[in-house]
Amino acid sequence: MNEVMVEARNLRKSYGSTQAVRDISFEARRGEVFALLGPNGSGKTSTLECLEGIRQPDSGRLSIAGLDPARHARALRAVVGVQLQSSSLPASMTVEEAMRFFCAYHGRSPRFDLVERLGLGEKRRSQFGTLSVGQQRRLALVLAVTHEPEVVFLDEPTAGLDVQSRAELHALIGELRAGGATVVLATHDMAEAEKLADRAAILLRGRVAAEGSPRQLTASGNRRTKISVSTEQGLLLAHAPDFPGASPQGPSEDYSIFISEDPGRSVASILAWIDGAGDRLVDLRVERPSLEERFLEIAGTPTEGGRA
Amino acid sequence: MKAFLVHLGYDFRTGFRDKSKLLMYYLFPGVFFLIVGGLMSSINPGFKDLLVPAMTLFAFMSSTLMTIPSQLVAAREAGVFRSFRINGVPSASVLAIPTVSTAAHMAVAAAAICAVGVLAYGAKAPAESALFAVTALLSYAAYAGIGVLIGAAAASGTVAILAGQLVFIPSIILGGLMIPASALPPALARLSLLLPASHCMRALEWACAPGSIPLPWVSIGTLAACAAICFGLAAFVFQWDARSSSPSRRAWTAFLGIVPFALAALAGA
Repeated sequence: MNEVMVEARNLRKSYGSTQAVRDISFEARRGEVFALLGPNGSGKTSTLECLEGIRQPDSGRLSIAGLDPARHARALRAVVGVQLQSSSLPASMTVEEAMRFFCAYHGRSPRFDLVERLGLGEKRRSQFGTLSVGQQRRLALVLAVTHEPEVVFLDEPTAGLDVQSRAELHALIGELRAGGATVVLATHDMAEAEKLADRAAILLRGRVAAEGSPRQLTASGNRRTKISVSTEQGLLLAHAPDFPGASPQGPSEDYSIFISEDPGRSVASILAWIDGAGDRLVDLRVERPSLEERFLEIAGTPTEGGRA
Repeated sequence: MKAFLVHLGYDFRTGFRDKSKLLMYYLFPGVFFLIVGGLMSSINPGFKDLLVPAMTLFAFMSSTLMTIPSQLVAAREAGVFRSFRINGVPSASVLAIPTVSTAAHMAVAAAAICAVGVLAYGAKAPAESALFAVTALLSYAAYAGIGVLIGAAAASGTVAILAGQLVFIPSIILGGLMIPASALPPALARLSLLLPASHCMRALEWACAPGSIPLPWVSIGTLAACAAICFGLAAFVFQWDARSSSPSRRAWTAFLGIVPFALAALAGA
């Protein structure tokens, strides 16, 4: 499972005078979900398109399952499945025709079970142009994985999907990973990345600003944990004392909010105070910083790159 | 091979499913044929000799110049080619399949024009059907090459439509479809040699009556060269992506497709 399936080394890509990718290096191993995170214009899609072999990088070394995307374009198609951020199919092509069409080029039998699973079973005879945006995205996903590729590139895969389809996609990505496929995922959705990714790289202005597992990324941040407490009588709201290691942030509805760098000690002190004051605990929430907060922390500060 | 056949089968079906293709493959040439056939045959009985080759060529031009270029550009602009590329569809298939599937539709259209022309308008049937089919195929290949080249080189749908019309309209007027080339003033007759239609009409007229007209070998050679050069240039300038650079360089390269006709016009053949 340690086999490197996707490798980018010192990747650079410019469009005219615009440097989209300045110097990006990362690798993803077999059976791993690797997320590329970043705001618009951070270089996610350009990086993916270079890896997919549909753009020629200016410099750097790329390897997908041992293949150079620029030199082994034909062989690459057999091992790679791609869902592009923006692509289309002929408007008059039905879902069933699309499956037969692309599977014929991959030399595989169409997997209509995937069509059913992603909720397109009733649309098999519908033309692409009549599908909703979400249905078109789901069909693109099915086409990306129908030939059981070793490496799957997904660019904003859940954009435009409803909750049910999103859950199906997450389950599908989990199955791909369990089956040994490597999934490289570009997304804006930090919660999705935190849930799915084994490792992630945060891209800013064409560079890797931070890289690691979601836990490593969040742990490398400001380490401040949010503690929210609600009590029956609300005594904490009225008379909040100073607790060790915790600073009060003011009330939010019925909750007293504290930020702590030592949540264990702070929570114990808060519970002891509530008990001593004769109040009763209604709700206690301890939230470590999310990947989104860590991302905003990184994105908000100028960086020259680094590892978590 | 299976993939090619699946792709071809799909593309052929869209000829009936897609309203714009249905219009330009069958309805537009069909209505034009019915009107011109009825009108011209009654005004000028000599037109009956030209009716089948002229209307067949009209259908070819309608399908290749007015349909293939905009179809290719629209697919590129919509990102269809990007989907094709990431799923392993070769660029040769992207260019060859519309050519072959349109040829199949044109075989149906040409057969209908022949049958209706002869039966309804008393048009002269080709004396050698096989010879007519071969020259018709060569004429189609030349126009399909031009259509594919325009589609591969045009930077936008508007440019593709304008470029198609730039060949289509003069071909109708000066290409010998409505007015025999012999009736044109000498300067216009020379100018008309820049148009594929003039060479197509010479070849098709010869195929209709091979004994009575000398073999127009220069026109046949010009059409063959046009097909080869245009398909070669189309493959050279083809881009998968609308965002690709250098559209003007592609357009200028595409102008090389006129070389065989320029040489024919210079030779005055």
